[in-house]
Amino acid sequence: MRAPKPTDHFDVVVVGAGPAGSAAAIVAARAGLNVLLIERGEYPGAKNVSGAAFYGSAMLNKLIPGWWEQAPVERYICRRDVILISPTTAVSLDFRSASPDYAAPPYNAFTILRPKFDRWFAAQAEAAGAFLLTSTVVDGVIKERGKVVGVKVRRDDGEIRADLVIACDGANSFLAQQAGLQRRLETHELSLGVKEVLGLEEAAIRERFNLSGNEGMVLEYVGAITDKARGGAFLYTNRNSLSLGVIAQVSSLVETGKRPYELLELFKAHPAVAPLLRGAKLREYSAHLIPESGWEMMPKLVASGMLVAGDAAGFCLATGLYIEGINYAMQSGMAAGEAAIEAHRVRDFTRHTLERYTELLWPYNVFTDFRAYRHAPHFVNGERLQNLYPEMAAASFERLFRVDGNAKQKILPLYLKAMRQSGAKPRHLIADLLQAARSYLW
Amino acid sequence: MRLAVCLSLVPDPATIDVDPLTGEIDADRTLYIMDPADAAALELALRLRGEGDTVIALTVGPAAAEPVLREALAAGADGALRLWDESRSATKPAVTSLLLATALRNEGLPDLVFCGWRSLARGSGKIPALLGEYLDWPVVTDIARLEIQAARVHFHRRLARGDRSEGEVTMPAVLAIAADGVRLRYASLPQLMQACRTAIPMRDLPDLGLSPLDLSFPASTVHAVTPPRPRPRTIFIPDSSLSPHERIGQILSAGAAPKSNTVLEGSPDEVADAIIAFLQARGFLEQPA
Amino acid sequence: MVMTTHEEKMRTVRFKVAEEPHIVLDPEKCRTCAAKACVCVCPANLFVPLDDGSVLFNYEQCFECGTCFLVCSKEGALRWTYPPGGFGVTFRES
Ligand SMILES: Cc1cc2nc3c(=O)[nH]c(=O)nc-3n(C[C@H](O)[C@H](O)[C@H](O)COP(=O)(O)OP(=O)(O)OC[C@H]3O[C@@H](n4cnc5c(N)ncnc54)[C@H](O)[C@@H]3O)c2cc1C
Ligand code: SF4
Ligand code: SF4
Repeated sequence: MRAPKPTDHFDVVVVGAGPAGSAAAIVAARAGLNVLLIERGEYPGAKNVSGAAFYGSAMLNKLIPGWWEQAPVERYICRRDVILISPTTAVSLDFRSASPDYAAPPYNAFTILRPKFDRWFAAQAEAAGAFLLTSTVVDGVIKERGKVVGVKVRRDDGEIRADLVIACDGANSFLAQQAGLQRRLETHELSLGVKEVLGLEEAAIRERFNLSGNEGMVLEYVGAITDKARGGAFLYTNRNSLSLGVIAQVSSLVETGKRPYELLELFKAHPAVAPLLRGAKLREYSAHLIPESGWEMMPKLVASGMLVAGDAAGFCLATGLYIEGINYAMQSGMAAGEAAIEAHRVRDFTRHTLERYTELLWPYNVFTDFRAYRHAPHFVNGERLQNLYPEMAAASFERLFRVDGNAKQKILPLYLKAMRQSGAKPRHLIADLLQAARSYLW
Repeated sequence: MRLAVCLSLVPDPATIDVDPLTGEIDADRTLYIMDPADAAALELALRLRGEGDTVIALTVGPAAAEPVLREALAAGADGALRLWDESRSATKPAVTSLLLATALRNEGLPDLVFCGWRSLARGSGKIPALLGEYLDWPVVTDIARLEIQAARVHFHRRLARGDRSEGEVTMPAVLAIAADGVRLRYASLPQLMQACRTAIPMRDLPDLGLSPLDLSFPASTVHAVTPPRPRPRTIFIPDSSLSPHERIGQILSAGAAPKSNTVLEGSPDEVADAIIAFLQARGFLEQPA
Repeated sequence: MVMTTHEEKMRTVRFKVAEEPHIVLDPEKCRTCAAKACVCVCPANLFVPLDDGSVLFNYEQCFECGTCFLVCSKEGALRWTYPPGGFGVTFRES
């Protein structure tokens, strides 16, 4: 660790040692910038919750070659299921790949546990020369003549000066709000995730999920698991535990009055889920907000002396099939780190120069993906997708597979019947198909 | 005045989880903290520190124990020293206190040594006692409060059943602190940053001039165990002159008198006398001889 | 066991309680709040509505998720900040 004096002026202060903050710190510190990384938790990851499936292995491999060999990872993901659920039935789409894209280095994705992973990732920033300060909460930015010139932390003599502040403080994004870059967020723009880690023996995990060695699986559920609240659920395999959780749009929790932890119990009790959990023991319960409105809730990303990255900038992609936030947090963090280097080179941290960050977000595939999927949040949280279609799908399969002595029916008439019975309108179905196509296909 | 504080990093009891699958303590889930009794001892030492005084923090432990010293530096300790014998994975109180005593001698004996009393990890309270033995100093345990006048420490001790006693000891001495309500101060930003980057010195056996033989104590043997005799229970008998309803109330409240308020009136002097008489009658104050 | 009560869930979480509360309610404003949205959304179940219309709240087992702040629609009724650095919830496995 470099040894700055307490009164030192830093080139960059990064607030929050999540994936966004540590990535930004790694990039900037490697270029020789004097970086301070501030985290309010007792250790990085102490306040952080994700599923967590990390889909950015190849990307991180460029930053830290062979990262999975040193990092605390759980399992590499080679099986993915998407499951449509009605109260009694489940229809699933199972994807399994032994292709080297999934099953060989750098792998496609890993399951991780954030308190362990974030600690390791922040240590990489320290190794690169950044100064990691934990147990310290930032209360706001210091502004002088319209320019951000540092942060104020909640300790005596808690002013820190810097050329650039990178706000990576996560979903609540108080720093961006305080700096006037973000408005107050609305309840339909965020979802609440409640999660449990359940201990289960390795052998049982392999057997139940049909895995060998260090193979892992992720299962995503849509439909009745969240009752009438809008959202979904997930179940991921770790080395010797399962991560499962329910994610529900905050506005719909308010509307339905559903308690988040009751939804969790509802999910665990579902006949399609319960057998997978048999004998597992609760190890930890947790909760966290998720920004889910992507493009629409994005704050201003740049101010003089300040950048916003990760969840704080709304860079969390909730497509309904899965949540990707960790990888975008890292990518945006890296882009911010690079923008910091360029600004430092010309000693100009005004908004004009820092706008370079928004340009870099394209080659880092953040903007590209968020623009591509900008319609997905609406689609996913639409009433019909949430409750009607999973029910219909389940009902028609239920009819299709039932052998009760009556004449067999083909799928289409069955489906049309299920649709009529459930009160879905063909016009809606077509509109939704179009929206789905617009959200995911082109 | 030179003050030394002995600290230990201990598992936070709230994080000691028995793995439901294996029945073993799940080391993965254990988090370590500065022992709360040690933290109180450090805080009292820092409060006593005057102009020109110093507070030095010591711990016996592997490199993983460094955070406890950094926390002490961040809170304002003037120096920190880690002691360890690399060949071990754990130490017994006898070894810990011998290492501490030797280091204190080598570094120049302080005027007072502070320890936590009845700490989480070594609730036996052996360390202060053994330290006193090795240093040949008096030991005072269970200290709830203390003041220093000239070279004398005036202390309040906490005794069983809420009793207190006061006393004095001359420096040098070993003080074992049991100040429940005392929390370690929250570090300022400059001190925290300073503490993060300080290199913490370490002394191993050769540095301390000790040989492994010095540390090989015979295993202790328990010859007999005499559990304290249970105190006879006093069974409460309700006042038979009361109504059944009131008697039940008395039994349920285990004899504690029902709350009755007496409003005293009169001049301040009269009221004061009445209060004193009341307290004496109930044994809170001693009767005048 | 797989199915757990809310109390059992909360027992698995480690909190380092700060001396000062980081969330403070304005009792007068809560009393006149019809929605009381904070009550049902809080994943730690820390808001308890009382018969007299007021809301009982204890900050000690808070996840610091921010959901109560997000849903509280009464201006200034709920003062919200993070606990001092190092205090509050500490997740170990999530
Ligand atoms: C239940 C759930 C499941 C999820 N599943 C997945 C998944 O499977 N895959 C995926 O890719 N993403 C998932 N996500 C999303 C993912 O967690 C986030 O997108 C990601 O964590 C964003 O990273 P970040 O660095 O921007 O923010 P965070 O990870 O939230 O990090 C912010 C950091 O800043 C610190 N901080 C905040 N404010 C301050 C302050 N004032 N002072 C000092 N420090 C501060 C915090 O303690 C924290 O360490 C999930 C999220 C949830 C809640
Ligand atoms: S905290 Fe807000 S939402 Fe909750 S009762 Fe008070 S005013 Fe209503
Ligand atoms: S921050 Fe979250 S856990 Fe804490 S009181 Fe609010 S809703 Fe509950």
